[in-house]
Amino acid sequence: MKIEGSHTLKGKPEKVWNTLTNPDVLAKCIPGCEKLEKTGEDTYSATLNMGIGSVKGTYTGQVKLTDKQPYSSYKMLVEGKGKPGFVKGEGVLNLQEQDGNTLVTYQGDAQVGGTIASVGQRMVQGTAKMIIGQFFTALDMLMEQQSGASTGASPGAPPPKSFFFKVALRYFWNQIKQALGVKN
Amino acid sequence: MIPTAFEYLAPTTLDEALSALSTHEDAKILAGGHSLIPTMKLRLASPRYLIDISRISDLAYIRESGGQISIGAAATHYMVESSGLLKQKCPLLPETAAYIGDVQVRNKGTIGGSLAHADPAADWPAAVLAAGAEIRVRSSQGERTVKAEDFFVDMMTTALRPNEILTEIRIPVPPPRTGSAYEKVKQPASGFAIVGVAVQITLDANRSCQQVQIGITGLASKAFRATGVENELKGKVVNDQVLAQAAQKAAEGVEPLSDIHASAEYRAHLARVHTRRALQRAVSRI
Repeated sequence: MKIEGSHTLKGKPEKVWNTLTNPDVLAKCIPGCEKLEKTGEDTYSATLNMGIGSVKGTYTGQVKLTDKQPYSSYKMLVEGKGKPGFVKGEGVLNLQEQDGNTLVTYQGDAQVGGTIASVGQRMVQGTAKMIIGQFFTALDMLMEQQSGASTGASPGAPPPKSFFFKVALRYFWNQIKQALGVKN
Repeated sequence: MIPTAFEYLAPTTLDEALSALSTHEDAKILAGGHSLIPTMKLRLASPRYLIDISRISDLAYIRESGGQISIGAAATHYMVESSGLLKQKCPLLPETAAYIGDVQVRNKGTIGGSLAHADPAADWPAAVLAAGAEIRVRSSQGERTVKAEDFFVDMMTTALRPNEILTEIRIPVPPPRTGSAYEKVKQPASGFAIVGVAVQITLDANRSCQQVQIGITGLASKAFRATGVENELKGKVVNDQVLAQAAQKAAEGVEPLSDIHASAEYRAHLARVHTRRALQRAVSRI
């Protein structure tokens, strides 16, 4: 399954790059991320609890960042396995300066297998889009909160539940606004 | 597979059900069960508590009052399909109900359950959008009303909060000179809509479009109002050509889904073709 899209993040590419490669940030922004632990150079083990509607599941897996070209691009490899199925994907993120902000474009390929893929195949792409959307919404909110200083949280500490709730609220409110044609 | 173990609760009043919903964190409401039980049997969903609302009196009804028709959330698809009142006053709903699943599903599944589940290919969301419905929702704190356009937020995600139960669907009785139609492209094995288009259109005495509402399901990650098409029609004198031209905008403003059943381009094409057909059929009934 091909995944591609783009999102504009506030801030210059240097700041956005540092944010996107910071494991504390990733732990807070990857939807349902309960744990993100460093296991090696740019390699992390992750526990994600995610789903849509009533279909929820816990996935354990690995996130690896490679081909890092500072401030312009990197490749992310993700692998996750859980009761509802498994996911294996890789994607390239490109950062480009645009009017003082950063345009992040991503292209990737994901393989989904197990029950969710066989029975829920028609929903896989929509769900992937939603999860990526929530990730960028969380990133927007986090960058708004931070003033560039470090978060101070210890690596691997689970992010506060209230943050996810706020992210979900903001994400779905944006969806509603978009549907009603309200400009941001 | 059989579902994972769960606790079964059967409250007899809505307040009991709401209190159970607030008390137990991992709880799901069970109405007809025809969206929930299949996911539980596949173990894609494993709620620890099931709150069965089928024993609550006065949740399944279809009645009219003050220019509005109220449908209780626990009304089965069959109740809507066979309702004399709806066939007479708002035929879009019985027509749509007939396309849902099969006879067994229609005898158990409920309109409230289907709307709360918000499957991107379900039929009810398109119909309630086209009918201009309002959705009544209740929690232990009180009641609130959500317009259909605001109710469907994303794939399988609605405006329902975790402690709320959908109680009623309210539809304004369409004015005279209103025609409606539901067009569905069925996926042959599952019966789900690859694309489903519901139309309700009102013309004035000169056959110009006074009001039009178009709900499309199956195309995107949630059912939506095809406002691009609606804006092309409002105020215009309606004929086959005008309808065909307006229908070209059916897939505007959304990202069509792509899966093994249909590519995004094909889905968008189906939406355009069936919006035109639904509009033409609806107008021919005026």
